[in-house]
Amino acid sequence: MSLHLKIIQPYRTVAELECDHVIIPGIDGDIGVSTGHTPLLTKIRPGPLVVFQKDTKINYAIHDGFVSIEKDKIRIVCEIIECGDEIDQKRAEEAKKRAEERLKDTESDIDFRRAESSLRRAVARLQSIAD
Amino acid sequence: MSNIRDIKNRIDSVRNTRQITNAMKMVAASKLRKAQDRIVNARPYADYLEFMIRSVKYKNPDTEHPMLTENQDKNAKRLLVVMTSDRGLCGSFNSNIIRSTKVYLEKHPDTDVICIGRKGYEQISKLTSSIIDKYFNLFNEMNFNDIKDITKGVLNLYLNNGYARVDVIYNEFKSAIQQNIIEKQILPIIPPESPAISQVDYLYEPDENTVIEELGTKYIDVEIWRMMLESSAAEQGARMTAMDNATENATELIDSLTLLHNRARQAAITTEIIEIASGAEAINE
Repeated sequence: MSLHLKIIQPYRTVAELECDHVIIPGIDGDIGVSTGHTPLLTKIRPGPLVVFQKDTKINYAIHDGFVSIEKDKIRIVCEIIECGDEIDQKRAEEAKKRAEERLKDTESDIDFRRAESSLRRAVARLQSIAD
Repeated sequence: MSNIRDIKNRIDSVRNTRQITNAMKMVAASKLRKAQDRIVNARPYADYLEFMIRSVKYKNPDTEHPMLTENQDKNAKRLLVVMTSDRGLCGSFNSNIIRSTKVYLEKHPDTDVICIGRKGYEQISKLTSSIIDKYFNLFNEMNFNDIKDITKGVLNLYLNNGYARVDVIYNEFKSAIQQNIIEKQILPIIPPESPAISQVDYLYEPDENTVIEELGTKYIDVEIWRMMLESSAAEQGARMTAMDNATENATELIDSLTLLHNRARQAAITTEIIEIASGAEAINE
């Protein structure tokens, strides 16, 4: 038995594949999904999404979205997702540094939130290519 | 003589116009193809969200989340989003929308309006003074993030200003030659009827209301996105048809002008020959 995973963006279907195990960054913590998981609806926080197939492992960095798990079918809807090999490590590191600096000295509320979310994104990217 | 030259000038100018309308037709045709592709690509996402929101509403029929429940205040204002194009030369595409808007505003005078598209704004600002927001130049790039700004604005207004409901008037793409005017309620959300419902009892994380809000926001995002895509495809279709007609009319005009030109030319030649012949006869006598 295996899991059926589908990742959908507003303008394309990113992936549709069979896999054995998935780790999803849920809003309340990472969720490991194997077959026979409880039906679940949850928000996604920015973080690494890992898909395990027989011998291979696919890394994604996911930035927002929504997941539903039902009868071994996993549906992820998200606006931004990147595959591990699309990520530029140097750029992500620079972005992280920039965001951290901006977080240190901000006055306005909006800037703070923007910097925070870009920091989260950068961290998600780095985590997804860490191993 | 000057008459012949006048006609010749007209023919040239009509021919130039025909070239332009023909080119515009081609451009519209290729943009239409792109817009149709976008509609097809957006379908899985939209279908899935629709399915989820329907399932959640089915499981929680008495949720009190304002996105899913009707406003009981019968006198509350309405909010209307009107989608038109930014550019003209697309036949009755915009005027049909504006006519429907006028009817809507007469029926529900207590309505605030948001305009998407410059052409609609120009006309509707003459009809009503309650335009509270406007968005231009979104149809060139068609970027999902731009659409999210609209959604955020609409949702904020709906949740904080006590509107009874939010309607959208837009052109639905039926075929390249046919557009339908659609008036659709987007808030509170009424998921379309369909037997496809998930019967599973989901666990909600972090909680039901957060999930409904997130799902609802995404659903509105994709609804407006879908309408924008429809509207842009319909606009290109309308422009293509309008420009095709214009090209045809120009060809007809050129034909009749050419006929006129040839007749005038012939008349001039005949007159000349008569003049020469009668001149020669006068010398012979």
